Amino acid sequence: MSREALHHVTGLKGKMAATGEEAAAMDSISRVPPAHPTVLSLGGSSEPRGEPGEPAADGQVVPAAPKKPTSSSDGGVETAEEAVEPDINELCTDMFDKMAIFLQGELTGTCEDYRLLENMNKLTSLKYMEMKDISINISRNLQDLNHKYASLQPYLDQINQIEEQVSSLEQAAYKLDTYSKKLEAKFKKLEKR
Amino acid sequence: MASAESQPRFGQSVKGLLSDKVGSCSGDVIALTRQVLKGSRSQELLGQAARNMVIQEDAILHSEDSLRKMSIITTHLQYHVEHSKNLQDQLRHLLN
Repeated sequence: MSREALHHVTGLKGKMAATGEEAAAMDSISRVPPAHPTVLSLGGSSEPRGEPGEPAADGQVVPAAPKKPTSSSDGGVETAEEAVEPDINELCTDMFDKMAIFLQGELTGTCEDYRLLENMNKLTSLKYMEMKDISINISRNLQDLNHKYASLQPYLDQINQIEEQVSSLEQAAYKLDTYSKKLEAKFKKLEKR
Repeated sequence: MASAESQPRFGQSVKGLLSDKVGSCSGDVIALTRQVLKGSRSQELLGQAARNMVIQEDAILHSEDSLRKMSIITTHLQYHVEHSKNLQDQLRHLLN
């Protein structure tokens, strides 16, 4: 396919040259005065001409127009390709690097959320460890207190007994007091008789 | 003119197709990544977890304060028990 394309291109060269020469001729007629014989001799040898009757100034001008697209197309395309390949590699590398950076950034957001939660959990676990230590101390102290309370229990029971006895003694004293008052009143009555 | 222009058009179309294909593939990769992240619902769940943790923080601090107060109260009770033990020793000495 590439060879056919090249043949097609070379076949087009002549046509382009002719048409280009015609266009350039028209332009030159409109702009430049009739050509001099010196210009004719200079412009004649280099390029193939479809119409030798045209002014030679056109011949100098003509080759410039079609050269651009097709004159060095074979070598130009190859050189262009050779020049483009390393750029494509660099561009691909650049593209994949940037894609990797973008994907890394997309995933970094979620990673940071996990890190935040991890830090919060670590701090909370430290808090709970402190609370655990405090509660262990409290439980130890309360156990000691219970043991000491158990050792004091008989004394506390004695105190309760003493209190009960004192209260019963108090009531007995009240009863005795009222009885003695009654007895005193009776004695006085009897004395009066 | 037309055929000469078509060759660069053909080259450009291949390049254009290639660049479009590359662009579409990269767009697909990006969309896939975003869909995977959306489907995992990691943002919602992690955000909700963080909010719940912030809500619980007050309760945790209150619990810590309560525990410290309990430790102070148990220390005071220990002092009371020590004092009563001293009184017990004094009483025993007096009775004897």
